[in-house]
Amino acid sequence: MPKKQMKKKKKKLSKSDLDLSVIMKSQQKAENKNLNLKNPLITASGTCGNGKELADFYDINQLGAFTTKGITVEAQSGNKTPRIAETSAGIINSIGLENPGVENFIREVLPETKEYTLPILANISGYSEQDFISLAEKLEGREELAGIEVNLSCPNIKGGGMVFGTDPEKVFEITKKVREVYSGYIIVKLTPNITDITETALAAEEAGADAAAMINTLSAMKIDIDRQKPLLANTFGGLSGPAVKPVAVKMVYDCYKKLNIPILGLGGVRSGADVIEFMLAGATSVGIGTINMIEPAAGLRIIKEIENYMLKHQIQKLSSIIGAAH
Amino acid sequence: MFKIIANNEVGPGIFQLVLNYDQLPQKPEPGQFFNIKVSHPGSDDPLLRRPFSIFDFDAAEKKIEFIYRVVGKGTKILSKLEKETELDVLGPLGTPFSLNQYKRNVHLIGGGMGIAPLYYLAKKLKSSKQKVYLGAANQAELNFFEEKFKELGVELHLAAMEEKLEIKGSALVLWLNYLKKNTPDYVYTCGPEKMLAAVEKEALKNNIGGQLSVEKRMGCGIGVCLSCSCETREEDQKNKRACVEGPVFELGEVILSA
Repeated sequence: MPKKQMKKKKKKLSKSDLDLSVIMKSQQKAENKNLNLKNPLITASGTCGNGKELADFYDINQLGAFTTKGITVEAQSGNKTPRIAETSAGIINSIGLENPGVENFIREVLPETKEYTLPILANISGYSEQDFISLAEKLEGREELAGIEVNLSCPNIKGGGMVFGTDPEKVFEITKKVREVYSGYIIVKLTPNITDITETALAAEEAGADAAAMINTLSAMKIDIDRQKPLLANTFGGLSGPAVKPVAVKMVYDCYKKLNIPILGLGGVRSGADVIEFMLAGATSVGIGTINMIEPAAGLRIIKEIENYMLKHQIQKLSSIIGAAH
Repeated sequence: MFKIIANNEVGPGIFQLVLNYDQLPQKPEPGQFFNIKVSHPGSDDPLLRRPFSIFDFDAAEKKIEFIYRVVGKGTKILSKLEKETELDVLGPLGTPFSLNQYKRNVHLIGGGMGIAPLYYLAKKLKSSKQKVYLGAANQAELNFFEEKFKELGVELHLAAMEEKLEIKGSALVLWLNYLKKNTPDYVYTCGPEKMLAAVEKEALKNNIGGQLSVEKRMGCGIGVCLSCSCETREEDQKNKRACVEGPVFELGEVILSA
């Protein structure tokens, strides 16, 4: 080995050498269709409002991407309260997709995102196949958005979301129809409440999804032993937080070798170490959700922790560790 | 940085928490709350912060006071924390009481731990015309509050469910007795939702304006999770968040469960 190269190899990486960027490749085989992120962190839908709530705490532009609160065709007032229950290292929520509807979203929420420099993803939910198609049509061509996250996994609405997300054929059908009308980046968000998540993940890929997000919350409930009744007004909800992380990591691990499209891994992430774990399992990007509710500026801390990990292990390109645990 | 300077039991299962702070993003107003992480650093249990309304605030001494009852895992942990412990605290959060009623005949009605935010309010109202109606389970629960409100020189009336003070019964019944004799221009109330609903009903029936502070199960406290949404009577039926648009609302603004 030439002397010069040896010397270069020995040089210890410093913070300025680190490259945290990742590329979420698109199936549309055009470079400009890819989702380029300066780091793998993406806010999980419904945990960060529409961004401005977190602006008091830090500049969210430092994240990889931002996902808006889930929207539906019509405005929804959501479920009755209580909508949240605490469990060991987790929370069960049943918000019920409270949102202003897609028209108001376009009129009121999207303009607010214009000042952001990071990619914005709109999370869409529906009660029927047609809902998803209508939403995708309405969002097609919106310059404010880098893409959409198709939520085929909300456990908190009757007859929608999760029902589609547990059936690979439905996942295929809806994804395909959304692909036909939407030209931006499409992420399909999958439910863990299923025997084999690789089946729905493959169905999404086959139908043209650019990426698969996993996992949405785990179906759960809590009973108030004093009232001797379910604690949540909606009886059931979805479990998130550190408690679900091992389940999510395993599902990402299961899917990584079978899928060609990138994975957005999420579930219980609250530290840089958790992000690294998801990436080693095979996630290209990683969602942060519940932690934002507890520590609004968690994203910044997590980025610093990732950098520290990279320095400790002398990793220059973060993307080099994707799937490395296999 | 927030540091505990006192954490004492001031009634049966009722604690006074006094924090010293370095700096605050803004001056806390009556009715606002702080969201406190009660678990030990690095622990996920309990995961969520706990919202506590401000009992008292002293800018000169850099002190914030809270009164809380030990009810669950979080408050139990909090009650065991010793002096000098540093706490992870977010706040002040939420919409405060409006204070422009100071010249008028004002009634404050508080039930149980709902008394806590009314003290800082009474202090800031600085009105000799304010009358305060408080209720709890028994005198022991009221001792601390009684002493503090008396220091303010306000007209104070007390009721308890388990023993006869001025009456044996709730703060609501106590207040209703006086309402017939002395109609206020404005009311402020905080306590169990059923009490708030009853105060609201009586006040509106008598054309009395006022504000109430709701207690809702919160997730984040900063408006992102929509766990504490309150249904409203407004035309567009848009929900309001107890943590941002609340916890203080105008009488009649949100739908309470009676």
